[in-house]
Amino acid sequence: MAAYLIRRVLAVIPVMLVVVTLVFLLIHLIPGDPAAAILGPDATPAQIEATRIQLGLDRPLHEQLLKFYSRLLQGDLGRSYFLDRPVTQALWERAEPTALLTIAALLVAIVIGVPSGLVAGAYPGSVWDRVLMFGALLGVCVPGFWLSLNFIYFFAVQLRWLPAGGYASIFVDPWAAVRYMVLPAVSLGFNQSALIARIARSCMLEVLQQDYIRTARAKGLSQGVVIVGHAFRNAMVPVVTVIGITTAILIGGAVVTEIVFNIPGLGRLIISAILRRDYPVVQGVVLVTAATYVVVNLIVDVVYVFIDPRIRYG
Amino acid sequence: MRRLIALAFVALLVAVPLSAEAQKKGGVLKIGNLGEPPSLDPHWGTQTITEVLTNHVFEGLYSLDEKYQPIPMLADGMPAVSKDGLTYAIKLRKGIKFHNGKEMTSDDVVASLSRWSKRSTYGKSLWTQVVDFKATDKYAVELKLKEKSAIVVVSLAVPNNFGAIYPKEIADKFPPDQRITEWVGTGPFKLAEWKPDQYIRMTRYDEYKPLPGKQSGYGGAKIVHVDELRWIPVPDAASRAAQLESGDLDAADDLVADAYDRLKANKDVQPVLVKPYYWLVAVFNKKEGLMTNQKLRQAWQAALDIEPIMKTVAGGKPEFYRMDSSLAFRELPWHTKIAGLPWNERNKEKAKRLLKEANYSGQPIRFMTTQEYKWMYDFALVTKQQLEEVGFKIDLQVMDWSTLGQRRIKPAEYDVFTTGMGNFFDPTHHIYLGPNWPGWTDDEQINTLMAQMARETDQKKRYALWEQTTKRFYEYVAVARYGDLFGLRAIRKSVKGFSDKTERPRFWGVWLEK
Repeated sequence: MAAYLIRRVLAVIPVMLVVVTLVFLLIHLIPGDPAAAILGPDATPAQIEATRIQLGLDRPLHEQLLKFYSRLLQGDLGRSYFLDRPVTQALWERAEPTALLTIAALLVAIVIGVPSGLVAGAYPGSVWDRVLMFGALLGVCVPGFWLSLNFIYFFAVQLRWLPAGGYASIFVDPWAAVRYMVLPAVSLGFNQSALIARIARSCMLEVLQQDYIRTARAKGLSQGVVIVGHAFRNAMVPVVTVIGITTAILIGGAVVTEIVFNIPGLGRLIISAILRRDYPVVQGVVLVTAATYVVVNLIVDVVYVFIDPRIRYG
Repeated sequence: MRRLIALAFVALLVAVPLSAEAQKKGGVLKIGNLGEPPSLDPHWGTQTITEVLTNHVFEGLYSLDEKYQPIPMLADGMPAVSKDGLTYAIKLRKGIKFHNGKEMTSDDVVASLSRWSKRSTYGKSLWTQVVDFKATDKYAVELKLKEKSAIVVVSLAVPNNFGAIYPKEIADKFPPDQRITEWVGTGPFKLAEWKPDQYIRMTRYDEYKPLPGKQSGYGGAKIVHVDELRWIPVPDAASRAAQLESGDLDAADDLVADAYDRLKANKDVQPVLVKPYYWLVAVFNKKEGLMTNQKLRQAWQAALDIEPIMKTVAGGKPEFYRMDSSLAFRELPWHTKIAGLPWNERNKEKAKRLLKEANYSGQPIRFMTTQEYKWMYDFALVTKQQLEEVGFKIDLQVMDWSTLGQRRIKPAEYDVFTTGMGNFFDPTHHIYLGPNWPGWTDDEQINTLMAQMARETDQKKRYALWEQTTKRFYEYVAVARYGDLFGLRAIRKSVKGFSDKTERPRFWGVWLEK
């Protein structure tokens, strides 16, 4: 297991290298000038040129790339052109909202998705199955941003139950943090809960047809014991995979949710950084997101071992 | 008994204003704005958002009144100008304290304005005329010029990229091309905290000494009632409007006209039309390519039917646009009313004739615009349609604003681009009339007129020169001028005392109804 983990962690390095190089080239390929974005519409060409030199943008591309690598090896992601501060600091300041939003949305997705999928799978063809799967179909079809805007309109503007947007740190004001988080977490998590529910249902269906389930039933065990004690754990392996993928999707989906609900997280940072051509920040956010993907996948692989002892890595 | 009643009455008279003042005091005013400023150093950057934020923290020697005319701010009165017009003696107000407790003296003013003169657009252009700038005593400075200049005071009074006075230590510590990161000013608010993408907090500066008299425009008496301003970046305009309606924000700036009807119908919200805002403009590249041909530019001008264009841009709402040919907004004393200018001619025949005279044979004209500012895209689209009716061939290129910003400084890459012209407080500030701004207007007559206006200090003569410039502008067609577009901001009705007269918002004089 340990050797496997070390191998997996080492394999991350080439992946990240490819990711950062690709991002570096892509962002430099799109036209647009960071200096013009920082200086504003009234800047003179001379001012823009001076700022380009100051930012090192006048250097050839390969030179900029080499400099970027060498800094990266020292753990330095560079300095944001626009925000005028180290990228690591900018990332750190915005990591908390995105992390909280992702976790909250994941909880929503799991709490809605897993039970409804299992129930639907355990009683296929029942009214419950139909209602839940219709809900799941809706969940997959309805775009997240549309749901968000409707939530804002009904729960914030009309009913005034919850704030229309914004953010409070859970470490500073937990109650306010929860109030701010409800609408974004539900609108982001709902789509994913639908996916989880459908996978959980089909896994449950499959497991329930296995021989050992028939044996369990033949022993005279009750339906509840069969489902909870024998079927549930076995049905969970693919569901965990999907939850892993969901986490990754949620980090990406957080971009739109963060904009609509005005949450100062990494998603909003990368959008504004792209518009401002703030190259170091774009590279930093992509790097962190890619690293998170890789780590989540690793965690999922490790979790398999605990759910299904038959799985061995060597 | 009668005396007692009289006394009680007097006591009441005294007490009422006092308690009214006490009632106004306090509270946190939350303002939603577009996003992050690249800096809070007004010497350094020209962005609107930097302008709005920093004017609450910093002050310059002069400011602008409600008619956008210079008035003293940190200076004690207007400058004493020598007979030859070459020496300006400026006295400073005494007892003005910076937010760090230090008293403001002439050393701070000299250090700050010297830094400003190396960075700011206005500072640099003023300093081309300055031969010496020094402190003459603790509370007085003197500015010596090469030749007579009409723009000394207005340059020191503009709110954008302005000559904010910092403590000398800060002005010396940060070179002009580096953004300051210690924000110490003399303004009515202190910068308390800046959490990027979350908020900027400004607290009331209790040692602030307001000028006597009334608040006027961007200057005058700045009396602060609220404890704190909290500027919250909400990049999405629809979210900004929704947060204002739900009460999460007390004020929201830069809203889109689409939200107007809904905000108007909401009993808790007061929409505010922003006048002036922009006049729309198509800027011609006069350095390279097709539009260097004056006849072609005249054809463009002749073909335009501006009213339907403005109607489209304003979403059909007549409150949001105004038809005007003057290069300065109606709100300014520089507004002109010249009859018979070739503006909004709607003359298809003339346009066709000019195209023929220009020997134009349908080469595509590269017209750059962006959807990031919807109004730019809208007016470009209708323009294309109108021009193609008379025989132009328009290659409409849509890109993001940052790309447009990069390409418009390269003469080989385009023929025309869209933008908006804001408020210019002096005729010499109209950037599109000069050779240094994209589009590169380099007309001998305009250059001469501009140089004359820069030196002429007689207001009447200057105005006459400005009228001449305007006439020449329409003949030369430096840019195509469309109509005036208005902006939208909104406040909750619990916000009192907000001035809707200024182009950019200011939050002194404002209180929250409890």
